[in-house]
Amino acid sequence: MTGRKTLGILGKKLGMTQIFEEDGTCVPVTIVQAGPCKVLQVKMATAEEHPDGHTTSTKNAGKKGGKTERVRGADGYYAVQLGYDPKPVRVCNKAELGHAKKAGLDTGVRMITEFRLEEKPEQKPGDDVTVSILKDWQHCDVTGTTKGRGWTGTIKRWNFQRQRASHGNSINHRRAGGIGRQYSTSHGVPKGKKMAGHYGVERVTVQRLKIVKVDEERNLVYIHGAVPGHNNAYVTLHQTVKNERFADAKK
Amino acid sequence: MNILRQIELEHMKPTIPDFGVGDTVDVHYLIKEGDKERVQIFSGTVIALQGGGVRRTATVRRIVAGEGVERTFPLHSPRVADIKVKSRGVIRRAKLYYLRDREGKATRLKPNLGKLQQPRSGKGSGLEPKAASNDAASQD
Repeated sequence: MTGRKTLGILGKKLGMTQIFEEDGTCVPVTIVQAGPCKVLQVKMATAEEHPDGHTTSTKNAGKKGGKTERVRGADGYYAVQLGYDPKPVRVCNKAELGHAKKAGLDTGVRMITEFRLEEKPEQKPGDDVTVSILKDWQHCDVTGTTKGRGWTGTIKRWNFQRQRASHGNSINHRRAGGIGRQYSTSHGVPKGKKMAGHYGVERVTVQRLKIVKVDEERNLVYIHGAVPGHNNAYVTLHQTVKNERFADAKK
Repeated sequence: MNILRQIELEHMKPTIPDFGVGDTVDVHYLIKEGDKERVQIFSGTVIALQGGGVRRTATVRRIVAGEGVERTFPLHSPRVADIKVKSRGVIRRAKLYYLRDREGKATRLKPNLGKLQQPRSGKGSGLEPKAASNDAASQD
């Protein structure tokens, strides 16, 4: 669980381009379509706080370690579950449709994410969360899944150095080099040694990216710099956890 | 239309003078001197055009005091105030990097007199959707 306890928004990375400021400065921007998201579910710490008719999590009540006695219907924490990007009914299963129906949707969504909150959420299932929530933000953190790079050598994956191209070197140009020692008290390959392997398709958060522009009409955010993932990848935008003061000082 | 393309059109200049690789142009570039802004003219041969849409750039080469100078101008930057086409050249390459290895008379290009009136912009040149970008610019 991350330390953040604020509501963010879900979106789709559309791609990168550049825009010019009035003084001619060229700003690299990623265009993200953020929302509109639907609140699918609201989680409450105690059962009394729940809106009428809520029955989720009754099955798991009291399950955690069997020690805490939970009230029926309580989630034990505050959170808002958002859904983004509706998909056709034919690809939804009945469970998805039933869940979405509680929020007043006719069809399921492609992306569902829960945002933990410090205090009791004001939102109700069926509410819309639009790009306007980040109007006052200076910066944001963007979470996404990086591009897949397949099986990758140590140079690309761990920034190892390449070996010599000539001076007697043969075949060992892009190899990792030594990975341990034999005749020593600490012999063997150290645990966690960086080697070649699968790289990419990781969940990554880029912190404190500047928000250049918010286009409420088209649900777009212009974010300074790059964002993890390929074009049309799903991303999550949070309020930044980094110090805003530091951000301004750097500017 | 693709949203990304639409955004680029909004940030593009409505019109850009029609020129191509091999043409000799005057680029009017706004430079800052203290608080004042003035126009500096850089004239030379266009040796490369790169990028599409708002990212389009032109590389212009000229000889200053016996030394070759190349500058790459982002065509849609507000700093590029104007581009004037002085003459057109006949070319057989998309990039004229070979001019870097030449000096004096060898850098001359054959003047293109016949095609002077013909528009150079084709598909993908980033110059073609002038009507569409006019509309987008008026919204801003």
